[in-house]
Amino acid sequence: MKIMIDQQVLEVNPGVTILEAARQHGIHIPTLCYHEAFGGQGMCRMCMVEVRTSHSRKVVAACTYPVQSGIEVQTSTPEIEKGRRTIVALLYRNAPDSGFMQKLYTDYDCLENGLAVNNGERCILCRLCVRACEEIGSSAISAVLRGTEKRIGTPFDEASAVCIGCAACANICPTEAIAVEQTDQDRTIWNRTFTMVQCRSCGRSFATREQLDYISQKTGLAGLDLEVCDLCRKKKLAAKIEQFAR
Amino acid sequence: MAACIDMQELSSILTRYPPEQRYILAIMQDIQGEYKYLPKTGLQMISDYVDAPLSRIYSMATFYKAFSLVPKGRINFKVCDGTACHIKGSSIIMDQIDKYLNIKPGETTADQEFSMETVNCLGACALAPVVVANEKVHPKVTSSGIIEIIKVYGGPNDAADN
Amino acid sequence: MMPQIIEADKKMVLVCCGTGCLANGSMEVYQELQQQLANSNVNVSTYTKATGCNGWCEKGPLVKIMPDDITYCQVAAKDVAEVIAKTIGKGELINRLLYRDPKTKQRVKSHHQIDFYKKQHKVALRNIGEIDPASIEDYISRDGYQALNKVLHTMGPGQVVEEVIRSGLRGRGGGGFPTGQKWKACTDVEASVRYIICNGDEGDPGAFMDRSIMEGDPHTVIEGMIIGAYAVEATAGFIYVRDEYSLAVKNLGIAIQDARQKGFLGENILGSRLSFDIEIVRGGGAFVCGEETALMASIEGNVGEPRDKYVYPTEKGLWGQPTVINNVETWANLPVIINDGAEAWASIGTEGSKGTKVFSLVGKVINTGLVEVPMGTTLREIIYEIGGGILNKRKFKAVQTGGPSGGCIPAEMLDMPVDFDSLTEAGSMMGSGGLIVMDDRTCMVEIARYYVNFLAGESCGKCTPCREGLKAMLEILSNFCQGKGSDADLQFLMDTSETMQMMSLCALGRTAANPVLSTLRYFKDEYLAHIHEQHCPAGVCRDLTEFYIDPEPCTGCGLCAQHCPVEAISGEKKEAHVIDQAICIRCGECRNQCKFDAVMIR
Repeated sequence: MKIMIDQQVLEVNPGVTILEAARQHGIHIPTLCYHEAFGGQGMCRMCMVEVRTSHSRKVVAACTYPVQSGIEVQTSTPEIEKGRRTIVALLYRNAPDSGFMQKLYTDYDCLENGLAVNNGERCILCRLCVRACEEIGSSAISAVLRGTEKRIGTPFDEASAVCIGCAACANICPTEAIAVEQTDQDRTIWNRTFTMVQCRSCGRSFATREQLDYISQKTGLAGLDLEVCDLCRKKKLAAKIEQFAR
Repeated sequence: MAACIDMQELSSILTRYPPEQRYILAIMQDIQGEYKYLPKTGLQMISDYVDAPLSRIYSMATFYKAFSLVPKGRINFKVCDGTACHIKGSSIIMDQIDKYLNIKPGETTADQEFSMETVNCLGACALAPVVVANEKVHPKVTSSGIIEIIKVYGGPNDAADN
Repeated sequence: MMPQIIEADKKMVLVCCGTGCLANGSMEVYQELQQQLANSNVNVSTYTKATGCNGWCEKGPLVKIMPDDITYCQVAAKDVAEVIAKTIGKGELINRLLYRDPKTKQRVKSHHQIDFYKKQHKVALRNIGEIDPASIEDYISRDGYQALNKVLHTMGPGQVVEEVIRSGLRGRGGGGFPTGQKWKACTDVEASVRYIICNGDEGDPGAFMDRSIMEGDPHTVIEGMIIGAYAVEATAGFIYVRDEYSLAVKNLGIAIQDARQKGFLGENILGSRLSFDIEIVRGGGAFVCGEETALMASIEGNVGEPRDKYVYPTEKGLWGQPTVINNVETWANLPVIINDGAEAWASIGTEGSKGTKVFSLVGKVINTGLVEVPMGTTLREIIYEIGGGILNKRKFKAVQTGGPSGGCIPAEMLDMPVDFDSLTEAGSMMGSGGLIVMDDRTCMVEIARYYVNFLAGESCGKCTPCREGLKAMLEILSNFCQGKGSDADLQFLMDTSETMQMMSLCALGRTAANPVLSTLRYFKDEYLAHIHEQHCPAGVCRDLTEFYIDPEPCTGCGLCAQHCPVEAISGEKKEAHVIDQAICIRCGECRNQCKFDAVMIR
């Protein structure tokens, strides 16, 4: 079907969201809680865009709004920019120490508002960590409580029995809000310490014991086969491919 | 109180319902009704029973204010803070309870005798301000009336003599 | 079994056992009555009945005696013996138990003569206070399940939808969406499974209409839902009841069981091809679950977080199936629409808002309780003629309508007809029907803070504008109440409000700024007094208020000291009294008690 985004006519597939259609065509819409691996969550509201149909004009979240034939989308208007600026200013209060938020603050020309700032904290509640843990990990963390008290944590804020220490949450976090203490021997995350496993090829510590056990359980692959880090695995695979290519 | 949870009894509450996600809320309500709070082991049991991650069960337990993760006092004061009660002085009642029992909303006294929480409108607005002590509804509670109520439930003897 | 129509020489005593009267001891009255009647030698055969809320909680416990049509107010257990001996036995009135009209100063015999009831027009509340909610026979004897019968045997599903569209019924839960249109949208979607939901999560503080209906006349909701199920071809229904309403859950449970026994629920209802049953789901204590997508998430076994509604529940609702969700009061109107016909039902009300509306009139008004009036009745009529005016002869300041999503209406607009559109134009909304009356001792800045505080705790916390916006607004408003803050903060409130309105995920967030916006619109001077002068004109904000006694008018009567809960007032008899500021908790009780206007606020 045909839709228009920022005066460009685009051919899109039914069933995609405005954000997906825009990304497919290289049109930028700002997001904070979107990741292509997980799809739109509709939480940060940065991606709000204006949609015009034959009989209405409204502001909707691009990451959850399904495309409809003939709609005209404006990814930016003065009101929407003002709204985005307010959202950034509000989130900045939660994460003033984060380089990510500091950059956004300057990019959007935010003004000082004299409100108390959350020093040392960094979470902007985009919940990408929770999604990562659900998809890649073991659903060890979730969003707890409600309203202005909402935060991310493990049950009872105690060490989670199901956490595998993969740190996918910390890696995906845009503001580095999740603390990870890493040495060659162990990794401490979410109040629990995990033993690191060394790569049988190069000796580098690359994953936790629990992470490999979890993968083994899910895939049926033998534990020992998994004790090779991703770099060495790629090298081995490259060597095999080269062999076949000859 | 918190230590002696009968596993058998707890388990029998769960099995009243089919092991499906949609009954999580009902199971929690039954547990809360029985024990006046949700024991940690209870949440783990629910997680195993309906096969949902513990983190999701915990999210629900902390999202819905019907549930408490810590035991309430022998007498639990629910002070209604609905609009009608609010304009008729519910904050003053909470201040009085704080003054005489040393607890703020959400807290329990050290001896586990009393706890206080605020609740949203109970729907008895014509009787504002309303305080519910365990199941008993106390209508039109005044700033001095609450002191009398605390005394009736065995509150500190110096409550009325300040 | 208790008959509805009383035979000539028999009497019926109805004791109100709604939550309000129960809190005032009506169960003791009821039990005492039953006990004493059983052992009484009074020669009159008497039935007793425990009914649901009569709506006039102010004067409860209420006891009505039929067919004499006598209404006794504030009846205590100790009055029962006299009621039996005098009124039932000899037909004599007990004057002190009759309502005394403040205008005529006369005692009034029947509630039909009392202003509070006279001016009401009961449709949704038609049975409450007249029937035993646990008796399906009572409901049936008052045209109960006639509408269902009519629909199943003389109308097709499409015809039922048309009838509801023609009635002009708009949702009574707050949205005001045309009900018939919603049903039509559901039938337009191809599906083999559809659901009906009753939203009984009444969360607006100060509103208890739905509680009374679910407690006092559960069958009207059930019958409405079965009619809806037939119209949209649904197979299963859910009543989502707020966790705090345990009596409603109980009475609905009894009603569902009885309806099943009589064949109104289950397979092949009344011999038709409709098979439908209803399950009760208790809420978990979350205001946001009144929002329909959050409600459905809750039923499915999740946290009550709403989702974007670009695809409506009528297309993809509960478990992805087409679903119709309507409010308790909306369902309660349906049997009447079917029985009386769409035209008759719609003959009351205004052009855009047909029918009646149940309001909960609470706050600083004399007659607090539930009031059902035709749409278009003015605020003045409701507050002054039915409500009896302001308590303690104080001055009217504003009436909050629509709960936390609504706004305040000031005195200049008291002659506004109450209907969906007028309220929205005035910057408020109908909401579920809460009318909170405020007097000159209410601080509008503090009220804004109160509502924002409420919403900050009730917000699901998922989307940024609502969660962060409320947090920031709460800080600013709390500062204002302490006399801190600046004009720049006022601008920030406006900007944040705009963002919340435009970008929030759900209606809670989109309307969360309303209390702030409407109080700023009509009461800006109060905000400025707080910020610029550190003064609270209403004498409410604790840090900005001091109560003191003016020695001039003070006669030293000591009434204030007697009522002071913290004994902060001292003074000799007949000499001017003094308030100790260090101890005073600003409850205002002294000011309420003083007959000489000697207690001042600064």
